[in-house]
Amino acid sequence: MTVAENLFESLRLELRRGSLTLAVLAQLRQEHYGYTLRKDLAERGLEIDESTLYPLLRRLETQGLLVSQWREEDKRNKRFYHLSPDGELTLAKLQEEWRTINTSLNSILENPESQSSK
Amino acid sequence: MELLDRYLQAVRKYLPARRQDDIIAELRANMESQIEDRESELNRPLTQGEMEDLLRKMGSPVMVASRYQTQQYLIGPAIFPMYLYVLRVVVVWALIIYSIVIVAVIPFTSPSASSIADSMMRIPSVLINAAAWVTLVFAAFEFISSRYPGKCPPIAGLTDNWQPSSLPPLEKADPSSRKPRSFTVAVAEVVVGFLLIAWLLLIPRHPFLLMGPGVVVLRVAPYQLAPVWWTFYWWILGLNVLQLVWKTLDLARGQWQQPAPIRQIIFKAVGVIPIAYLLSVPDHTYVVLKNPAADQLQYGHNLDLINNAIHLGFSVICAIVVLQLAWDIGQMVWYEYRRREAAR
Repeated sequence: MTVAENLFESLRLELRRGSLTLAVLAQLRQEHYGYTLRKDLAERGLEIDESTLYPLLRRLETQGLLVSQWREEDKRNKRFYHLSPDGELTLAKLQEEWRTINTSLNSILENPESQSSK
Repeated sequence: MELLDRYLQAVRKYLPARRQDDIIAELRANMESQIEDRESELNRPLTQGEMEDLLRKMGSPVMVASRYQTQQYLIGPAIFPMYLYVLRVVVVWALIIYSIVIVAVIPFTSPSASSIADSMMRIPSVLINAAAWVTLVFAAFEFISSRYPGKCPPIAGLTDNWQPSSLPPLEKADPSSRKPRSFTVAVAEVVVGFLLIAWLLLIPRHPFLLMGPGVVVLRVAPYQLAPVWWTFYWWILGLNVLQLVWKTLDLARGQWQQPAPIRQIIFKAVGVIPIAYLLSVPDHTYVVLKNPAADQLQYGHNLDLINNAIHLGFSVICAIVVLQLAWDIGQMVWYEYRRREAAR
């Protein structure tokens, strides 16, 4: 990997990091366990490595944004996650923030000539 | 599934003991579901190679386990700049204090080349010790502040309560636009200054440090140095000590980048005094006979030649130093003129 490619990869990961958390919280409005959550996100175009997603679920649970429980499904014990009440509030705020950032970024990226410094 | 068991066993080794079972059980459930899915897609069990591919894609056991750990720093990014600053200051001062101890103690205790070499060899361990203590203190602070936030006193400059009015005044721009001295150069000058003084202090007891094998010649020759050299020696020593003190103070006050040109000129001007003193010695008596009554007739002519040669040598040196001084003064006047012109 060249220096430029390395730099791009590092910037790409940085850009994705925050959005992944938002996507995971949003997806966990419905209950999922790790593997099905990953599959659902991938089907909707957002691929996440297992080694990133599973620890992320643990972290969000420690932070009180998710709750989990072990339950048997298809003769196998699985840990199911869903949003906690705190998680729902945080998700609503993050969604609002995301929309604001998205609108601003779209405006900046698509209409660079309308910058205020002009 | 043996490969999966081996993989999970390897991951377990790097996980915190308290959460090992829980994390491994969850990982196992997720991975088994993934394997089952893949197998139902293929309508057959996974081959060894496909299993290896799947695990390789998951990541190495160390990497996977590391993602479950909270991010930890020995010294976090918030206090790292301050750590670097303190480390630099402490290491420089450890070097200076240690050098002072060498210079002050060695000449009066065991002034031998081997004891000086020993002291020099100990410098790296002194500096590593100083750096280790600073690192330890900052690591302890990081550890306590990350685990017990609010218990640690806030570090000045790292809280929101700083006052913009407490910022240091704007540094004066150098009108001469000369390149500022680097910190490394400033430290090297101080260290070399200390070594030079140590060398000067050892010369009276160990003249070979100045004259090398010539000492033997001086011992058997009928000549010896005149007392005038002692006055010259103390002048040179005093000048070096003064210069070193000044440079050390500059370093301590963080003003090493642009030493005042006037100071360089003063030092050079004062440096002319011992040379002028040597030139003013009556009859150019720099070297005398050990036994004048017996040797005057045989060595008197050679003695005159030697003394005149030394006088000529110092006359040349004096001329060079005076020319340098004049050049420096001229440059300083030119810079001052440019500064005033730029200010208009």
